[in-house]
Amino acid sequence: MEKKDIIQSFKDSLFTGLIALALFGPIVGLKTVSKGEGLFITPQWGVVFLLVGLCILGRFLININSARRTEFKIFSTLSSKFSSITEDKAKHFAITGILFAVAFPFLPFTDRYFMDVAIMILTYIMLGWGLNIVVGLAGLLDLGYVAFYAVGAYSYALIATTFGWSFWICLPLAGLFAAFFGILLGFPVLRLRGDYLAIVTLGFGEIIRIILINWYEVTNGPDGITGIPRPSFFGLPFKRSPDEGETSFHLFFNLEYSTMHRIIFLYYLILVLALITNYFTLKIRKLPVGRAWEALREDEIACKSLGVNPTNTKLTAFAIGAMFGGFAGSFFATRQAFISPESFTFIESAIIVAIVVLGGMGSQTGVVLASIFLIGITEMFRDLEQYRMIAFGGAMVLIMVFKPKGILANRKPTILMHEDKK
Amino acid sequence: MSNLLSVKNLTMKFGGLTAIDDLSFDAKNNQITSIIGPNGAGKTTVFNCLTGFYKPTNGQMFLHKEDSKISLRKYTDFKIAYVAKVARTFQNIRLFPAMSVLENLLVAQHNELMVASGYSLFGLLNLKTYRDKEQLAVDKAKYWLDIIGLTHRADDNAGDLPYGDQRKLEIVRAMCIEPRLLCLDEPAAGLNPKESAELNKLLKFIKTEKQTGILLIEHDMSVVMGISDHVVVLNYGKKIFEGTADQTKNSKEVIEAYLGVDE
Repeated sequence: MEKKDIIQSFKDSLFTGLIALALFGPIVGLKTVSKGEGLFITPQWGVVFLLVGLCILGRFLININSARRTEFKIFSTLSSKFSSITEDKAKHFAITGILFAVAFPFLPFTDRYFMDVAIMILTYIMLGWGLNIVVGLAGLLDLGYVAFYAVGAYSYALIATTFGWSFWICLPLAGLFAAFFGILLGFPVLRLRGDYLAIVTLGFGEIIRIILINWYEVTNGPDGITGIPRPSFFGLPFKRSPDEGETSFHLFFNLEYSTMHRIIFLYYLILVLALITNYFTLKIRKLPVGRAWEALREDEIACKSLGVNPTNTKLTAFAIGAMFGGFAGSFFATRQAFISPESFTFIESAIIVAIVVLGGMGSQTGVVLASIFLIGITEMFRDLEQYRMIAFGGAMVLIMVFKPKGILANRKPTILMHEDKK
Repeated sequence: MSNLLSVKNLTMKFGGLTAIDDLSFDAKNNQITSIIGPNGAGKTTVFNCLTGFYKPTNGQMFLHKEDSKISLRKYTDFKIAYVAKVARTFQNIRLFPAMSVLENLLVAQHNELMVASGYSLFGLLNLKTYRDKEQLAVDKAKYWLDIIGLTHRADDNAGDLPYGDQRKLEIVRAMCIEPRLLCLDEPAAGLNPKESAELNKLLKFIKTEKQTGILLIEHDMSVVMGISDHVVVLNYGKKIFEGTADQTKNSKEVIEAYLGVDE
């Protein structure tokens, strides 16, 4: 390496240090502390200099590294690890993944916290799979997907609390309601594409949330709906002391009462719902309507010239995607037993879209990996409190650097002419 | 030979600009009718009117069917291909690049397959009736791929094909909807002489074997003169000449339109 290169990279890293100083100076350097009367600023320049120093050093190393045109081992191994994940291996991953998921509640290290995180990840996987139909297959960027999640949750909550019907009747109804809202959103946005579509769907998500807050007579406004019935195990409730004339789950199976029973049941419930979503998507992708979705994503004008009806095709994508969002919403409502508009903010939509995009548009296994990665990492860093969103952002940046098209980007044809070739 | 398409007094105005001015011509069954003219003459606009992308300001377009005739004005958008069976290709290729060659050809058979799959219901249940229909669709795709010699690449992405093959694929994809009239917008653009010759062969095959009328916009005169049965020449939206290829070659008006008039 020449001397000129070193000086150049040194200059560059000093410049990086300046930017870091400008950023960290006010953010980290000036800490507000409340003492008695009011707020006081305590400077902590030591931490700032440490961070800035780290940035300069890091930048310098990267510069030298790229000047030498060789890679640090850690980068290359990470990079090859990431790129070695392909759809072929994804199949093995899927089978082991499902087996692991089925066995998960009975693994020795599994406790209540792990189960809760697992249920959350599975909910996001299901939402990701549902949104994958709209974004990944049909190519319609929907930034308001949480609206259907909300419609599903509220329909479930309202039907269940008003009529007292069981989970298995309310679930399909909630799905239908959500699908109906999918079509409702679909109609005005039929002619929109790309950015414009994204903006309108974003607005739709907010409209639903604001209606939920303000339609006090029906939705109980910001107070939300409480006392949503818990699901029962085919008629057997998970209660310590069942009502008269009823048998509860632990009595029926002669088990010691434990709250874990209900958690495990919820876990399997969302697992089954998610797997149904996945199975359905994999199936429908190979049907004419699925191929039409993908064709529409590729080129709408060409679709029209071949006699494909773009209106119906888009509406089915919106409706089916929304239906699965609605199912997930019902599950959410029955798990929480309480819902309020607070749970359905834009950030939820953003996370679901991030999962689909980072997973690799249209890839089912990618959604699983991205959900585990994003939700898991934010959970792992829960102890870091306010810094855990940095971990979330860092995870996104990592994926974008090493896999700019998403974790699993390669698409497999839906039908093969030469079976043996591939 | 009977008329397939008659265009009568077609006029298309964009604001103050008259792109097509009172154009009338006929295209016959089992013939290749070429529309030629200098750049900006309104050729592609004629196609866009015929295939429902534009609604013409004035005039009629009829597609003749045995004894009856249907007005193309009544159909817009996707219905032109679905109901009237008029297929088209585009000046800049519009394949589905991230989908396989075979999938491209299956999307063209979407409407039949949709019915066969019971609007997805039979398909989800994996009934035999649907699987048989799908196999028929694959066989049809294979038939066309054999003709253009792309069967071995059926499972590759359409976007990975060489340019010339993409052009041919777009034409056979349009043929998969079994059109009565096939509109080709500059199919030879960007092809080398060998590929142009192959294209001529393909178009002649479609004309004679498939009994499909072809309407062709083309700048490549080796294609136009080689295969056209009938030539319509446009300039500034007006028809300035109509006749056989040989007549066109020797027409004074046409030469003037292309090369200008001596001062």
